[in-house]
Amino acid sequence: MSLILRAHVAAAAHDIVPSWPLDSFIAVNPLAGAESRPFGSGADPDVAITRSTADFVTDFHRGRIPVEALERALVARIPTLAQTVPLGEKTLPAATIAALDMIEWPDSEAGTVPAEDTALDRSLCIWIAAYLNPDPLWAMPHRDQGFYAAWRRLAAGDLALPRPSRRRIADAPEDADAALQKAVSAVAPSELHNYLRAQLAPLPGWVAHIKWRAEKVGDIDLTNYLAVRLTLGTTLESNLVTPVTAVPAPVDTTWERAGRIAVSVTRGAAGPEVVAAVARVLAEHPPAEHLLTWQAAYEEVYRTELVGMLRSIAEPTERPDVQVVLCIDPRSEGLRRHLERYRGVETLGFAGFFGVPIRFSRYAAQGAMNALPALLTPRHRVTEHPLDTRAAARTVAAARRRGAFGHALRTADAATLSPFAFAETAGWFSGALTALRTLAPSTHARLERALSSRPGDLPARLTTDGSFTLDERVSMAATAMRVMGLTRPAPLVVLTGHGSHSTNNLYQSALDCGACGGNPGGVNARAAAELFNDPEVRAALAGNGLRIPDDTVFVAAEHDTVRDTVTVLDRHSIPQSHLKQVREFEELQAEAGTRLVTERARTLPGARSRRAVERVRQRADDWAEVYPELGLAGNAAMIIGPRELTRGVDLSRRVFLHSYRTELDPDGSALETIMTAPLIVAQWINHQYYFSTLNPGTLGAGTKTIHNAVGTLGVLAGHRGDLRRGLPWQSVGFGSELLHEPMRLTVVIEAALDRIGQIISANQVLRNLLDNEWITLTARDNIHHPWHRYTRYGWTPTITLTARQNQETPV
Amino acid sequence: MNNLTRMTRLEIIVPARDAPAIRELISSAGATGYTSVTGVSGIGHHGQHSGSLLFNEYDTLTMLITVMPEGKAGELIDAVRELLNASSGVMFVAETYVSRPEYFQ
Repeated sequence: MSLILRAHVAAAAHDIVPSWPLDSFIAVNPLAGAESRPFGSGADPDVAITRSTADFVTDFHRGRIPVEALERALVARIPTLAQTVPLGEKTLPAATIAALDMIEWPDSEAGTVPAEDTALDRSLCIWIAAYLNPDPLWAMPHRDQGFYAAWRRLAAGDLALPRPSRRRIADAPEDADAALQKAVSAVAPSELHNYLRAQLAPLPGWVAHIKWRAEKVGDIDLTNYLAVRLTLGTTLESNLVTPVTAVPAPVDTTWERAGRIAVSVTRGAAGPEVVAAVARVLAEHPPAEHLLTWQAAYEEVYRTELVGMLRSIAEPTERPDVQVVLCIDPRSEGLRRHLERYRGVETLGFAGFFGVPIRFSRYAAQGAMNALPALLTPRHRVTEHPLDTRAAARTVAAARRRGAFGHALRTADAATLSPFAFAETAGWFSGALTALRTLAPSTHARLERALSSRPGDLPARLTTDGSFTLDERVSMAATAMRVMGLTRPAPLVVLTGHGSHSTNNLYQSALDCGACGGNPGGVNARAAAELFNDPEVRAALAGNGLRIPDDTVFVAAEHDTVRDTVTVLDRHSIPQSHLKQVREFEELQAEAGTRLVTERARTLPGARSRRAVERVRQRADDWAEVYPELGLAGNAAMIIGPRELTRGVDLSRRVFLHSYRTELDPDGSALETIMTAPLIVAQWINHQYYFSTLNPGTLGAGTKTIHNAVGTLGVLAGHRGDLRRGLPWQSVGFGSELLHEPMRLTVVIEAALDRIGQIISANQVLRNLLDNEWITLTARDNIHHPWHRYTRYGWTPTITLTARQNQETPV
Repeated sequence: MNNLTRMTRLEIIVPARDAPAIRELISSAGATGYTSVTGVSGIGHHGQHSGSLLFNEYDTLTMLITVMPEGKAGELIDAVRELLNASSGVMFVAETYVSRPEYFQ
């Protein structure tokens, strides 16, 4: 084994972002490997970093980007453009001249000719899918020997390959390292890094997944992948890499552009000195920078409007009747807004795993899920203890019988001859069931639920106290209170996780809670409620100055983001004294949910109708529905601060909202936790939507309608090819229109600027994101201070437009 | 020295997201084990690093320590140096002494 060659492979793969499997879909920035460099620099020519110039110019002409915003963006990016320039008898701001250059004479678009699918890639995709498919009809022989060894033994007998190729494969080294060493033996050491990078480029979806799998599962790695690729490529004698061909755009010279602008501003009497002055301005803002400036202006408009909407009011002192804690997910913003129309209701935003990171398995279930952010490693296993063990035994036995029956059906369906007999005997029943499922999806879903009670539906308590020590439970509860700024707990506190319920949707995990590892967040809410209701934990919290009143009860719930209903969980644990309040909460959440569905129906494709509420909710059960909900489409900002900033303001479900109060965080540790965890998860999600929108065919997964699943690994477009990365088109667009506005995350924080600066200085991940302009940050010390924008040179005051607050009247 | 056996100790500090590649190299080099310290803090070439973060193990620094016989360490040192060309991180190599050399062979 050549260690140095393995190091070369690891170095070549350094910027590749691992791709999680579909069943625990984790949103990632597909260009995260470039976050240590300025946004947009060094990107591959086939990756769109922003929308096109034509799109931005259209935005300009329809008023989405006013010229003032464009000039502000120019000055922010190139401060010298704040100066004025004498042009004959006139004097113009340099930013105005640069803006004219962008508006009046936009650049032609550069383009690329995409690489063609090669025979090598096609063959390789088939072998990888066969090796990695977790649920194949026929398991790949020799799989236990590793990818390269198994492939070599089988490919040597693959009649689809020419005889000389088969002979060469049979003669290839038995070991992956030796095969790779042999394949690169002719490559000069100085060229090896670039050569390996080029070899890892053609199938980015499979390569990203193999990188994830090498770290988390270990049954394949990129050395094995490259050994197969290069050995197969050599035997096929094909081009190993088909480069993407860049087609450069024709660009006028600075002098030509300056001449046109000079004529325009002086109305035809431009002397050489005027042209020279304009040319000096244009040289500071060359065409290569134009798209990034357009993008900055596009975002500046939204950011200015958002900050202008924020309120400056003091914290209320009255104790609320109910506090509802929801995930920071932008979808929660709509529910919070509608819930708060009721007097006595207060809402808070917190990461949807409620600070309880667990690996959870349901009672008697096979397998487990990581109910925690992808930033953490699971260390605590939690399961359930049913309260009625005899009922649990009966339900488990029934579930096993159903499982055996289902397995028998699948086996009969997958064998060679039995499907014919199976269709004769059971086809009529399947046909009727399919008709019911298609024509009356809600009825079918109700029938299915009635016939399949699961052990997980039984009343049960979690084993949280057995998985965490008392100190750990107290620490988690104290952290949660400080981080979310829970200063005066109400008599009823509803911890509300969220999950998305849809049918026949391979991307359901992408609609679940990102802070819970792409899983529904109800279980984390249950675990957190148990923590907060534990008398021992409360006593220890009181000793730390965090008192929870004796009449406060925490209740777990889950928000279904397709139906916008909130289901209270673990009802058996609610004391008699609080049942009335819980029922009242359920009534008002039902009304709030209905209003939210009506609001969502206005933008959900095909949902406008007189029966919009019913139609939208039916989508959860409709197996033909490709738009069950819009997920986080439109996400654009994150606000970290007290709810008073945003209460009563319609943020259109576009903003991650994390509650935070400086008075509960004297040392800044809670703010650092928010800025290094929930903010990072929000940024991953934001960039996933951003690049899936701009690159639907390469960094997005393309249209759902032609997707085929490879087990639970991912999807292919059609029946073969690369594993698709990112979000499907139905998450970001409809027809040829965009549902998501690709904007980098605008972060807004209300906390001491010095403290924020110290946290950024101490964390490289934040320095990278902010100094390299992958995200932006606007902050103010408190309601008595103006907003400032973070730049790598320090804080600068922002421009605030007149507030446009859509305050709603309490009912 | 007190019947101790001379060995080579490698200390490698890298971003946690790059640690799996280093661990793989250490294992492939035939090291019998390693120690991993997460949430390493300090100041380096890229500025300050605050140390462990409550809800983020991915964006912190990890220090990996391994001890090997001198004859086996050379190839690993070259390999780690190559990998560090593509990422941030530092490697310290030092002479060390162990009382039970069979643990490290």
